[in-house]
Amino acid sequence: MTELVGRSVARVDGRAKVTGAARYAADQPVPGALQAFFVLSTVARGEVVSIDASAALAHPGVVAVLTHRDLPRLTVPAFPYFRRFLPMQDTAVHHVGQPVAIVLATTVEQAQEGAALVAVGYRAAQPRVVIEDAREPSYLPPPFRNLPNEIRRGDAETALAGAEVRLEARYSSATRHHNPIEPHTTTAQWDGDRLTLHESAQGVLATRTVVSAAFGLPPEAVRVVAPYLGGGFGAKGPVWPHTVLTAAAARVLRRPVRLVLSRAQMYTLTGHRAEYRQHLRIGATRTGELTSIIETSTAQLSATEESVFNRSDSTVELYACPNLHVRYEGVRLDVATSSYMRSPETTSHFGLETALDELSWQLGIDPLELRRRNHAEFDQETGERLTGKHLLDCYALAADRFGWAARLPRTGATKDGDEYVGWGMATETHTFNAMPSTASVTVGVDGKALAQLATQDIGTGTYTVISQIVADALGVPITDVQAQIGDSALPPAGMSVASATIASISGSVDQAARAARAAVVDLAVADPSSALFGAAASEVETSNGHLVHVRDRQRRDTYRAVVGRAGRPVQRTATVLNKAGHSYGVVFVEARVHARLGSVRVTRVVTAHDIGRVMNRRTARGQVLGGVTWGIGHALMEHTVFDRNIGRVVNPNLSTYLVPVNADAPPVVETLFVDKPDPASTAMGARGFGETPITGVPAAIGNAIYHATGRRVRDLPITQDKLL
Amino acid sequence: MAEHTRRTVLKSAAVTAGGAALAARAPAAAGAAAVSIQPAQTAEITLSVNGRRRAVSVETRVTLLDALRERLGLTGTKKGCDRGECGACTVLVDGERVKSCLTLAVMRQGSEITTVEGLADGDRLHPVQEAFIRHDAFQCGGCTPGQIMSAVACIEEGHTGSDEEIRQWMSGNLCRCACYQNIVAAVADAAGEVRR
Repeated sequence: MTELVGRSVARVDGRAKVTGAARYAADQPVPGALQAFFVLSTVARGEVVSIDASAALAHPGVVAVLTHRDLPRLTVPAFPYFRRFLPMQDTAVHHVGQPVAIVLATTVEQAQEGAALVAVGYRAAQPRVVIEDAREPSYLPPPFRNLPNEIRRGDAETALAGAEVRLEARYSSATRHHNPIEPHTTTAQWDGDRLTLHESAQGVLATRTVVSAAFGLPPEAVRVVAPYLGGGFGAKGPVWPHTVLTAAAARVLRRPVRLVLSRAQMYTLTGHRAEYRQHLRIGATRTGELTSIIETSTAQLSATEESVFNRSDSTVELYACPNLHVRYEGVRLDVATSSYMRSPETTSHFGLETALDELSWQLGIDPLELRRRNHAEFDQETGERLTGKHLLDCYALAADRFGWAARLPRTGATKDGDEYVGWGMATETHTFNAMPSTASVTVGVDGKALAQLATQDIGTGTYTVISQIVADALGVPITDVQAQIGDSALPPAGMSVASATIASISGSVDQAARAARAAVVDLAVADPSSALFGAAASEVETSNGHLVHVRDRQRRDTYRAVVGRAGRPVQRTATVLNKAGHSYGVVFVEARVHARLGSVRVTRVVTAHDIGRVMNRRTARGQVLGGVTWGIGHALMEHTVFDRNIGRVVNPNLSTYLVPVNADAPPVVETLFVDKPDPASTAMGARGFGETPITGVPAAIGNAIYHATGRRVRDLPITQDKLL
Repeated sequence: MAEHTRRTVLKSAAVTAGGAALAARAPAAAGAAAVSIQPAQTAEITLSVNGRRRAVSVETRVTLLDALRERLGLTGTKKGCDRGECGACTVLVDGERVKSCLTLAVMRQGSEITTVEGLADGDRLHPVQEAFIRHDAFQCGGCTPGQIMSAVACIEEGHTGSDEEIRQWMSGNLCRCACYQNIVAAVADAAGEVRR
């Protein structure tokens, strides 16, 4: 039987998603639930001095208006809860858009109207919300999650001073917001001291950890359910205050409560990619070998949280360079706390890959050749040889398909109608995490298989890959496999963040299914009423739901018959911890720049990626398509604008915070994969991948714009005004 | 001090119009001007959704989207932005694609409304639904019901002459997972099938 793993298998949740049958968190009917709507602070720094809820309470349908005076005292939870304070525990205001009251009503409309009727008085101080306006100079924050904020290798300053060639440049990018299509939502229902949450969560167990800690409950007292997620991109990985506050409101009112954030509220309540600056100094030989990299980045921190979420892993590790000094600095600002956003390492990688392009022009070396010359064969920290890294293959595959050899090494060399045409490239890489995961696989008396684990499908294809793995391991049709995930009551498994899902769960699902297969085979060969009775277990193969004797193929049985005769399901579990690592790739881009309007179109993209074993060609390609278009948004349009005087987000919506639409996406994207299993992976040879295929895109576009026009833009996004 | 919301603006507009009490079957076009809209006043209306007539009690300010989701339990239609920017709530009203967050339920009495739940013929999926699965034209699925309803109308409108035309005419529906190339392929494929 042909293996399903590795092939282009259609999504098993496809039918549910195209018919509207898939129930997302806010679709779950919860009888008697009150609808909640937040009143958010309109000042960025200060305190609440008065709250008049009388008009709201007089509004028909409004049941209650809760303030800091009404909520129980809660414990500020730890990771993955950021911010280090819980709103509505006192009167302090740390950023615009912080919850100060919750209106609860019978209908959504009543709650929303009621929230508009709550009058809040503030004592406010002048906020500082962008790096340029910071009160204090930038500083080196303490390590976050034990990761150092300063990394040194060799003697970078001396090496830079003695370098044959030097490059110094400053790169920057604006604040960005995730904007998943599904707004964040929480439905909280208490039964005594037990809480059930229907939650838009990238981590059901992480949500359980945070919420149970806030209420001082044992984790088992909280159940988090999220069978489908309407996009997360990192926004729904951390747990945010609204989840805890909704549960608190439900506890106070002794009724189920549903909260759906408005689009505008998602600009202050659920994290963002921090405003960022990067100062790079690079030393190299005349032939392009890097001898020194010195990087200081400055990230926007909030008034209450000083964690740095955008780290420069690629600066540290991607290229061979003996001397390095990287510092992650930050400045405190009166903004909502930032967080991880799809491919956090993209933020710094834009600078690195643009700098290499600049160096290539300075030296007159082809930018791809420059990268080849600096290819890292060894781990830059440990000196160990990097086995299973096929980045050079990626370069060769994609360059060939793109036709890179035909590139003219001059700017402004190609014009097509009103547009200058340019080509650019960048290496792609991102770390992936891996988390301990347990999976259970059950073969029922009907011969059908059920895989259960508390992971999530955030759109990346988890349901499908689990089903492929189980179908292959058992030897049953994929239609006989059901995957049940997105429920904290299931066996514990990893969050769907940090490109970790497939890398975390594949090994445990495979091993549990193989154990279940072995158990069923054992049942068959020990069962006098089976045609396989007396055979050695090693002589039985399984395929398409059948158990067959390898030498005497007439001797056969079925999963359904064997388990049916046994009279009870066969269940096995397995736990695997894979190791974290990196995925690699390259992106080549053709961009067209309108000579008079400065508008940019990305018209052709070729990628090649080294992600270990490709589990599902179709869903892997989907990650690349999404990544390329995210890169276009990052490079050309997305930016959150603050009013520097009052600290508010000026464009908290989808008509002025522009994300790419269909017509912005490149019509041609070719997605190639090396597809060699990683020998170090216990996830069936797979590595984590989802975040890698954005990382190089912004620099590749910027580099293509330079090739097209000779204009180098170092500040993202590259909006039209910067090219006029 | 009180900020104007969409709903208070509607309310004050109606007060200045000084209209008559709500008629249960007010014609759609005249409805907004002729109706005195009190904030919590409910209207007993009948909506025809997916071929079924459904009686529903809604406040007059309730959008078609919230009527479908919160009153009729048709949660296939998604709320992404609630202000007409993302397209996740797209439904068909008398065959035309409409963002259901930008129209009031009371305005759509007498219209034939089709949601994603009403597209399949029993177990047989609509060609657009089939094509979306075949071309992997979704990931998280949050925008998918809106994309599919928009695609059905896009084909009906005749805006599928080329991939470029599809790209333009499907640009009112955001896909943050960004499966746009696959959406174009699915719409083009389904268009061929629907026309056969």
